[in-house]
Amino acid sequence: MSILNILSRTKLYWGLIAIFLIGVLGSPISSKGNNIFLSYGNLLDVLRQVSTTGLIATGMTAVIITGGIDLSVGSLMAICTVVCAMLLTVPGVTPAVVLGVPTVAVVALCLGILVTRFVFLNIEKSRAGPQATHAIRLDSVRGLVTPGIVGVILCSLVLWFLLPQVGSKFGVVGVLLVAPCVGLLFGALNGFIIVAGRLQPFIVTLAMMVTALGIARLTAGQNNAVLPVYTGSNATADFEMLRSLVFGVIPMPGLFFLGAILIYGAVLRFTPFGRYVYAIGGNEEAARLSGIAAGRVKIATYAMSGLLAGVAAVLYVAQYRQGKPDAGAGLELDAIAAVVIGGTSLMGGRGSLIGTFCGVLIFGLLSNILQLHNINSNLQLVLKGMIIIGTVLVQERNAVDLLFYLRLAFAPLWGGQAHKETTAAKRPSKETPSLNLGGNKK
Amino acid sequence: MKRRELLKLAAVTAALLTTTALLASGNAYAQDKKWKIGFSQVTTIEPWRAQFNKDILAEAAKHPEIELIVTDGEDKTEKQVADVENLIRQEVDALLVSPKESAGLTGVVQQAIDAKIPVFVLDRNVETKDYTQFVGGDNKLIGRAAGEYAVELLGGKGKAAGNVVEIWGGMGTQPAHDRHDGFHEFTDKEPGIKYLLDQQSGDWKQDQAYNIMATALRNNEKIDLVYGHNDPMAYGAYLAAKDVGREKDIKFIGIDGLPNEGVTLVNNGELTATFTYVTPGAEGLRQAIKFLNGEKVEKTITLPTEKITKENAAQILKDNGL
Repeated sequence: MSILNILSRTKLYWGLIAIFLIGVLGSPISSKGNNIFLSYGNLLDVLRQVSTTGLIATGMTAVIITGGIDLSVGSLMAICTVVCAMLLTVPGVTPAVVLGVPTVAVVALCLGILVTRFVFLNIEKSRAGPQATHAIRLDSVRGLVTPGIVGVILCSLVLWFLLPQVGSKFGVVGVLLVAPCVGLLFGALNGFIIVAGRLQPFIVTLAMMVTALGIARLTAGQNNAVLPVYTGSNATADFEMLRSLVFGVIPMPGLFFLGAILIYGAVLRFTPFGRYVYAIGGNEEAARLSGIAAGRVKIATYAMSGLLAGVAAVLYVAQYRQGKPDAGAGLELDAIAAVVIGGTSLMGGRGSLIGTFCGVLIFGLLSNILQLHNINSNLQLVLKGMIIIGTVLVQERNAVDLLFYLRLAFAPLWGGQAHKETTAAKRPSKETPSLNLGGNKK
Repeated sequence: MKRRELLKLAAVTAALLTTTALLASGNAYAQDKKWKIGFSQVTTIEPWRAQFNKDILAEAAKHPEIELIVTDGEDKTEKQVADVENLIRQEVDALLVSPKESAGLTGVVQQAIDAKIPVFVLDRNVETKDYTQFVGGDNKLIGRAAGEYAVELLGGKGKAAGNVVEIWGGMGTQPAHDRHDGFHEFTDKEPGIKYLLDQQSGDWKQDQAYNIMATALRNNEKIDLVYGHNDPMAYGAYLAAKDVGREKDIKFIGIDGLPNEGVTLVNNGELTATFTYVTPGAEGLRQAIKFLNGEKVEKTITLPTEKITKENAAQILKDNGL
């Protein structure tokens, strides 16, 4: 393998490094002679700023690898910010409590049942050995009763923890439990409708985006466009922890983002579930025929996407000290852009979370650099759009291919039969492109 | 093939170097200025905000010793917070910020204060008292002025009578509530004044106000006065009335009084009056420079409002070169 080959395989990392280098070398120097871009504070700012988008993009990656898409994450995050802010600041039975607490109960119940069943099923499988030909079934005690009991116990434990907090205001652990569960429920609902109704993910999540926005506004109430959270005065001071630096080194939101990438990345790479996700994206029908429960896996990816939106929401509330129904507007598109820059194919079956991590960072560093140079904000948008296209082009094709198609497209302008033949001879790809151009007579 | 890849690599490297060089050379020019002042604006695509930017840039042009950096929050809290963080990293000598929301920006303003940067909060306040100065209009004051004039238009104190349509700005925003409360301090004393709509919000937008007014016109035979929480909404209501041929029977009052917007509309006779909500751009920058030069500044500056009617509209337009 030549060096160039390795270079082109790892081009994403080189892209990240290039952006970083541009940042370092081009950075303005502060009055004290420090490199502003490279200053620790600035890099922490970037990490903190990308965390919300990053968490959303993490969930989105798995969804996109299955060949789906989740447009509802922004609105789901909005609901969760409203729920989170309301739980933190308003005591008593509020819409947030009505929406949140039963959700947590249901999620705990389902989780208890599913996990117990999963454990029993695997014990049974290992007992049957790898040669077992018959389908593995659990008897009613282990298949239904015990999981049910575990679920109910878990559910009541959670309620025992949460219900006393309703009278006063919720604490940090409380909201960290409720908001992600709300996200999870809506996400799972997305997945369920897509699988059960055999509908396009685009449409279902688009509908959910609108619905969720409405629910967020209803929860917030007519007169509350913004629910401010002032830790220490109207909410618990502990909440400040979620926007602080951990050991003075890394910001809490960044830690959540890195954690999510690492854990979810490991799950996608090393577990059967991860294999199934890729298999479904590659060819859903084939995956199903080879015995993968495609529906369940898909529901799980959407549920995870919702859950991470919920986590992002709590961090949003901590960081911006407010919850509001338009909190995540447009966030889904940023997340999708980051995922695609990271080399994940929108067609499904290909991609990785490391790529998404790079994509998110490239985007964040780019915004930071442009802003440090005080480039006109409208021009920034143009540049960002161009960079998305550029990166994806480099990801998907190599430049030689591109040049070929360009030449083919402009061949009629340049005219000349001879030229056409030379381009045809130089064509790098094997199959004939199905371009039918006016001047290109056969 | 290999040569081509090498070429590609060379091209990428060249592009990288050029970008870096361009960025680096861009930094060089502004080093001789005495003060570097950062201004974080919410958005630039709204008329009042555009005027705000125009005012502050015009003021900056009068002070060659300062370099003014204006950032655009694209109407998103996240973006504006990032902007301010960025300005802090650039070690500006003073920070002017016009927050999108009080809560959302409080944290980062505190961060700037902790970094020993004097902070001037413009237009909308934040939930801390450690900033250097707040410069802004008083919406209640403007609402009162509008209410007083409305009573005058409808027959004078004690005998004012008529049906009033009020078109709210955003329901959840403090300015809308203040403009409402101030107005009603005067109109509520008049038993003859009837209010036709119950808290209808046009979200500060002309098209939404048009729709609200169109419905109101259909449902009510007699409307005497429309109070829009800003000029575009008052104008939207005017257009709705015009489309059914009733604009002559109705008086329209707006707020904001931008030269190329409200004042022009008043001058054309479309709006009866507008009340200026002066942008704190020019005053804010003047105060910041004053502070940097070692003078003392007050904690709060409230900008006055001015009533603009047909009589003074033409003069104001002339003063602004329109």
